[in-house]
Amino acid sequence: MFRLLIEKELREIIGSTKFAVSFGVCSILILLAFYLGAANYLASVAQYNAARAENLRQLEGLTDWLAVRDYRIFLPPRPLTTLVSGIANDVGRTIEINGRGDLVAHDSRYGDEPIYAIFRFLDLDFVFQIVLSLFAIVFAYDSINGEKERGTLRLTFANAVPKAHYILAKLIGSYAALAVPLLIPLALGSLLLVVMGIPLSSNEWMRLGVIIATGIAYVGVFLTLSILLSSLTQRSSTSFLMLLVIWVMSVIIVPRGAVLLAGRAVSVPTIEENNAKKGKLNAQLWREDREAMTKFQPSSSSDPQRMASEFQKLMQEMADKRDARMKQLSDRLNEERTNAQQVQRGLAFGIARVSPAATFALATTALAGTSLDLEYLFRDAALAYQQAYAGFMFKKTGVNLSRGMIIMRTESGDPEKPKSINANELPVFTYSERGVSEVMQAVLPDIGLLLLYNVLFFAGAFVAFLRYDLR
Amino acid sequence: MESGQPVFEAIGLTKKYEDETLALDHVSFSVRAGEIFAMLGGNGAGKTTTINLFLNFIEPTEGEARINGIASHKDPLTAKRNVAFVSENVMLYPNFTALQNLDYFSRLGGKTQYSKENYHAVLRRVGLQEEAHTKRLRGFSKGMRQKCGIAIAILKDAPAILLDEPTSGLDPQAGFEFIELLRSLRDDGKSILMSTHDIFRAKEVADVVGIMNRGKLIMQKHAAELAGHDLEELYMKYIAGHIRDAA
Ligand SMILES: Nc1ncnc2c1ncn2[C@@H]1O[C@H](COP(=O)(O)OP(=O)(O)OP(=O)(O)O)[C@@H](O)[C@H]1O
Ligand SMILES: [Mg+2]
Repeated sequence: MFRLLIEKELREIIGSTKFAVSFGVCSILILLAFYLGAANYLASVAQYNAARAENLRQLEGLTDWLAVRDYRIFLPPRPLTTLVSGIANDVGRTIEINGRGDLVAHDSRYGDEPIYAIFRFLDLDFVFQIVLSLFAIVFAYDSINGEKERGTLRLTFANAVPKAHYILAKLIGSYAALAVPLLIPLALGSLLLVVMGIPLSSNEWMRLGVIIATGIAYVGVFLTLSILLSSLTQRSSTSFLMLLVIWVMSVIIVPRGAVLLAGRAVSVPTIEENNAKKGKLNAQLWREDREAMTKFQPSSSSDPQRMASEFQKLMQEMADKRDARMKQLSDRLNEERTNAQQVQRGLAFGIARVSPAATFALATTALAGTSLDLEYLFRDAALAYQQAYAGFMFKKTGVNLSRGMIIMRTESGDPEKPKSINANELPVFTYSERGVSEVMQAVLPDIGLLLLYNVLFFAGAFVAFLRYDLR
Repeated sequence: MESGQPVFEAIGLTKKYEDETLALDHVSFSVRAGEIFAMLGGNGAGKTTTINLFLNFIEPTEGEARINGIASHKDPLTAKRNVAFVSENVMLYPNFTALQNLDYFSRLGGKTQYSKENYHAVLRRVGLQEEAHTKRLRGFSKGMRQKCGIAIAILKDAPAILLDEPTSGLDPQAGFEFIELLRSLRDDGKSILMSTHDIFRAKEVADVVGIMNRGKLIMQKHAAELAGHDLEELYMKYIAGHIRDAA
């Protein structure tokens, strides 16, 4: 009996023309997402390699490490970021390294090619979040009340069918008929990555697997919710309307609203505000130092050599002090900003998680390495590189770049022809993502939340149907 | 065939809905094997409510609806094994063919032994044109779907058959054939309880005719007692009389 009920559910859904058409469309979109992801990745790699080569080429022929200008590091493209783009297209991919000062990332993809920013990319995240959730709704919105409208519910229960068996079969059958077939295009898409020669590490394969599993869980949320609402209402038009409203709330309103709300509740000092504060302090320090300079009294006015060196010492001391105070302020402001941002994001995401779509997006972008974390990781890696770079330069030139650039170099008058610098000696910039276990730990609550929604709606549908009016 | 245990039995059947509507008021009757009981009555008289009580779609406020001696609300699954049901306006599964619909519901009714040939035979018996047997129901007319519904009830081969306005939607010829079908089912020993608005057919086929009004069974007569009477006239008289009594 139970098998018969599940079988019927499968045949009814999969045998329908509606299914054939929408499953075809979904499959094409999924494959397209994989294909575009792979193609984008290959294009990004080419672009990345070209930019790096150009960066090194600019150093050719230089004879003095101190003449190095505009040395840049680049965020390397990674396959998963093109499948689930997250903020990957919004963050700058290039940072100029000078050995000191604030780091600013430039050249975001959307900045370079704004046309893509208008509709965003068609990535896996989009296909799941928008298309597949609607796919689930379209098939399940009338799963119970539709049977009532067609009179099949009465006819079914004129037989010795326990209600519990019926609803369980409905839930399991719908899952099997809708969620499982999606695995086919998803598997084919993964295969496409292999065929197109996209190098995925085992770490990345694992994360892709978890992304797909999370996607299925997300589709399951809308599936079980649809069945729940369909067994709480008498008319399929009612449940369809309710589901549409919930869908719009979940996919569009709640995530945006949460960010707006958190933006109002927690204020984060802007970069401009901070720059203004820094500028003010800088001007003030220079004023003080100029005064000190005018008050400079050499210990003896007869020895110009000593006078000069005393003056230079004073200058260097002042510069060091200025730098120290500037750094102190800068660090404090940055920390304040980061902390406020953290609070704001915590609040925004906390509210947004009410929406399964937001929960799904947070989990998958974290898994793909394209969550907001990307910006921090890149910045931290760049900061570390900046230190390595400054250390390298100090070793090469004896100049400490991290201090002020008050350099008085005496030409040694080397008779030899100056040798060219070897750009390959520069430290190599590496960007490494978080490890699988670390990422998993971060996304587990979100995946758990999606599963919890599944269980709650499943149980809700079960209970609601036991009380459902069969007439 | 007036002997034997009643198959359908309503004993003081009363149903008061949540909104205090008294849809059935102490209705009692019984239908034996090989007997057709036709319930007549205006809209809202309580016919569908009676059928719903036999199928345990709703619980009685008082009294019992029994099938083969089993009270539906006490042991619904056993009671339902003994009854086949044809509802008014059943649409069935539009994505399944006639054969697939028949197969599914037969299995649901516990009949797994049927072959395709059996299904074709039943569909012929209810008068569904041959070429429609393997077509999806989506394009079927109301009457064609009704025929499938009747076929499903026949296939269940239960001792009791419940029919809620089974002839609605049938064309005159199909209506006539349906009466023949009911007779043959009766001759097979089935006990049939049907609600209908069709006074002429009711008189033609029923062994017992009941008239319901405002939740009460106000008349119950055997075919023999009705012979020589114009049932339509009788119906009007009863309803009018009952309304006068109630006023
Ligand atoms: N769920 C319900 N809640 C409240 N009242 C109801 C409900 N279902 C039916 N009724 C009322 O019970 C009474 C009997 O209804 P029922 O459907 O049994 O009539 P019927 O004889 O089948 O009528 P028809 O010939 O129109 O099919 C009506 O007054 C109806 O309004
Ligand atoms: Mg009715």
